[in-house]
Amino acid sequence: MNKHPKKQKQNEEVHYQRWYRRWFWPGSFFMLLFVWCLFALNISPRQFWEGIPHFFSLVSEMFPPNWAVFTRGKVLWSILEVLSMAFLGTFLGTLFSFFLALLAAGNLTPSPLVRTAAKWLMAAERAVPTLIIILLLVVVVGLGPFAGMIALAIGSVGMLGKLFAEAMENVDPKPLESLVSTGASKLQVIRYAVLPQVAPSLIANTLYKFDINLRAALFLGVVGGGGIGFELHLAMSLFRYADALAITVMTLVVVWLAEKISDYLRRRIIGQEVLQ
Amino acid sequence: MLSVKNIAKKLPDGRLLLRDISFEVKKGEFVGILGESGVGKTVLLRCINGLTTPDSGEVIINGGHYAQKINGKKGKDLREIQRHIGMIFQGSILVKRLSVLENVLTGRLGRISPIRSLVYGFTDDEVEVALEALEKVGVRHLADRQAQTLSGGEMQRVAIARALFQEPYLLLADEPVSNLDPKNTEMVLDYLQPLTRQMAIVGVFHSPKLVSQYCTRAIGIKDGVVLYDGSPHISPSMLIAIYGTDLPEQPARQVAVA
Amino acid sequence: MIAMKLTAIKTLSRYRSYLFPVSILVLLLWGAAVVSRVDPAVLAAGIPRGIDLLGHMLPPDWAAFPQLMAPALKTLQIAFVGTVFGILAAFVVSLFAAANINPNRAVRETMRGLLSAQRALPDLIILLFFVAIVGLGPFPGVMALAVSSVGMLGKLFADAIEEVDPRPMEALVAVGATKGQIIRYAVLPQVMPSLIANSLYRFDTNIRMSIFLGAVGAGGIGFDLVVSIRLLDYQTAFSAIIVVLILVLACEKLSDVLRTRLFGQEVLR
Repeated sequence: MNKHPKKQKQNEEVHYQRWYRRWFWPGSFFMLLFVWCLFALNISPRQFWEGIPHFFSLVSEMFPPNWAVFTRGKVLWSILEVLSMAFLGTFLGTLFSFFLALLAAGNLTPSPLVRTAAKWLMAAERAVPTLIIILLLVVVVGLGPFAGMIALAIGSVGMLGKLFAEAMENVDPKPLESLVSTGASKLQVIRYAVLPQVAPSLIANTLYKFDINLRAALFLGVVGGGGIGFELHLAMSLFRYADALAITVMTLVVVWLAEKISDYLRRRIIGQEVLQ
Repeated sequence: MLSVKNIAKKLPDGRLLLRDISFEVKKGEFVGILGESGVGKTVLLRCINGLTTPDSGEVIINGGHYAQKINGKKGKDLREIQRHIGMIFQGSILVKRLSVLENVLTGRLGRISPIRSLVYGFTDDEVEVALEALEKVGVRHLADRQAQTLSGGEMQRVAIARALFQEPYLLLADEPVSNLDPKNTEMVLDYLQPLTRQMAIVGVFHSPKLVSQYCTRAIGIKDGVVLYDGSPHISPSMLIAIYGTDLPEQPARQVAVA
Repeated sequence: MIAMKLTAIKTLSRYRSYLFPVSILVLLLWGAAVVSRVDPAVLAAGIPRGIDLLGHMLPPDWAAFPQLMAPALKTLQIAFVGTVFGILAAFVVSLFAAANINPNRAVRETMRGLLSAQRALPDLIILLFFVAIVGLGPFPGVMALAVSSVGMLGKLFADAIEEVDPRPMEALVAVGATKGQIIRYAVLPQVMPSLIANSLYRFDTNIRMSIFLGAVGAGGIGFDLVVSIRLLDYQTAFSAIIVVLILVLACEKLSDVLRTRLFGQEVLR
């Protein structure tokens, strides 16, 4: 590996380059880029400096949290909304991804054309930010958790579809072959040879996607999807910081609990399969 | 140069590993330490350069005008002493992703102020001396190569170059050739031996034959004490005493001078 | 007839153990559907609406493209600055969280705990929090991205540092090097590829996040997209969608290229 020579008294190729010489061009480029961005975005130490007193005043306005905000049923309901959106959305997404993956898995697909189409669909979905999906859905089915739920379902297809297809392709082929040799139909092979092998991984990935979707559901609430994200955003916009803190704490608790349950289920199901 | 007095060290489970190790080493000596596996040779070496702290005893490094006790020193004081002690380990201890030259240069980090080493790096003069050190072990042509592309023997030679560059009073070598094939072993030790002109060398070896070929003195350790301290040509009966009944290899036929 | 009934009963009894969990699942799904206001009628009505929408979106507003360049750039800039801040903070924290660099267990566990706590925080909350402090605009977006990156990057960095071969580090300790020198000469060279790979990956994620944050008030193409839809300006919205897609795909390609260039040649040290 040759390095660039640096200036030296003798006329021989020189070996040692100080870091700032080696990284001079990429480093300067990076620094310039960075400073340019700071200027373009109007970010300066002054922003940090001025933010500090705002931080303290915010904290003082937030405490004590206003738990009464939950007596208004709407807020409490919106927690159910996020959970439902994430739950149903992930479920439907998983269902659809499963069938799509059957078409995309090299060892199970009916034809290479179908396989390419399925893979392309999954890649396309992965490329499209969920924001676009939800905004369009809101126009089509209206504001609220229904749009959010569909957005999450669609948004799961890319990731889950790919993971499912990979799991299916990595299945041990021997059980499949033995079933095929007894004359089983494709569907039966899938049901009895593929499914049992991929089930743990399917469930684990689904639970993982559920966690992701729950957090995504918070964001979706702000752009029209319904749920506690919307309530939180509203409270903040109306400067009702004590309400906001109460909602935040509740959201944190709910998300944390959901993830704990998800973890537990994942371990139980994987554990069972391993034991079997 | 080096004065080891009554070193004792316990194992983590409480058993005594080293009981009472004492010896002295003068400039120009090449001492080979022998003993069974697990007897504590590596631990002893690490006590000497401060990587491990002995439970009791003293280690004194003496460079002429300079005499310092190692144990009990921490932080900056310890580092000050450590810069005068070089160490070569078994196997590769170079930084794989740095070049050979940079590896050698790290030998003097103990002497360079942290600020300078971080901001500026190494001076041209230092680079010159480092290249000369590489020359002395015959690997100067590899100076630009990334360390991980070298063979085992080449890497050990670079390690020696690093120790050379460090210009220590004392060089410690922990089984420096155990991983190498006979040809490389010979080559590495051929480069190591002449260094006694500048410093004292204390090496741990697994092979009495090598010690008899290259060292000026041998120390045998058994049951935590120095069992033998003398000529590198050890008599077979003494070898059996040091190693118990499993000898690492047949010793070369030498006239017994135990 | 009886034979059919018998086989039916046999089949059903085989699945008896599944009865309980499945019925719970069905119950939950039904409940979720109710709460989410799932309404097939709405969906059915939506299909013609959707087609209508597509009709309104085509052709995209070509004149809008040049105007959308600036917000797209802004989105990128927000992602860039936010990621850089995040990387810097994560690196510093990771040094304190890595066992082979920080011997102090209490500090280490606190740092790891903080990183873990940050990962638990939903990103929306982080953003709203910053907006509440400094108002709308790119600055809270940048800070939100930075903070949301620290948890993941910090953990990945700390893990990478801990996996480094300890022997070169020891060799430098034996030479008398200070901790800073050891980090610079023994740790960093080993850990650099992993640091850069993780940072690039996070930058990718942050670009998508930046688009979203734009919609929530940080500015950038996400904001333009939301606004154009709310104003029923569907052709401009479609242009914005195209710009977003180009942005996302271009950045993916770029990080792929960067990654193969940097790691294929082992240029990085």
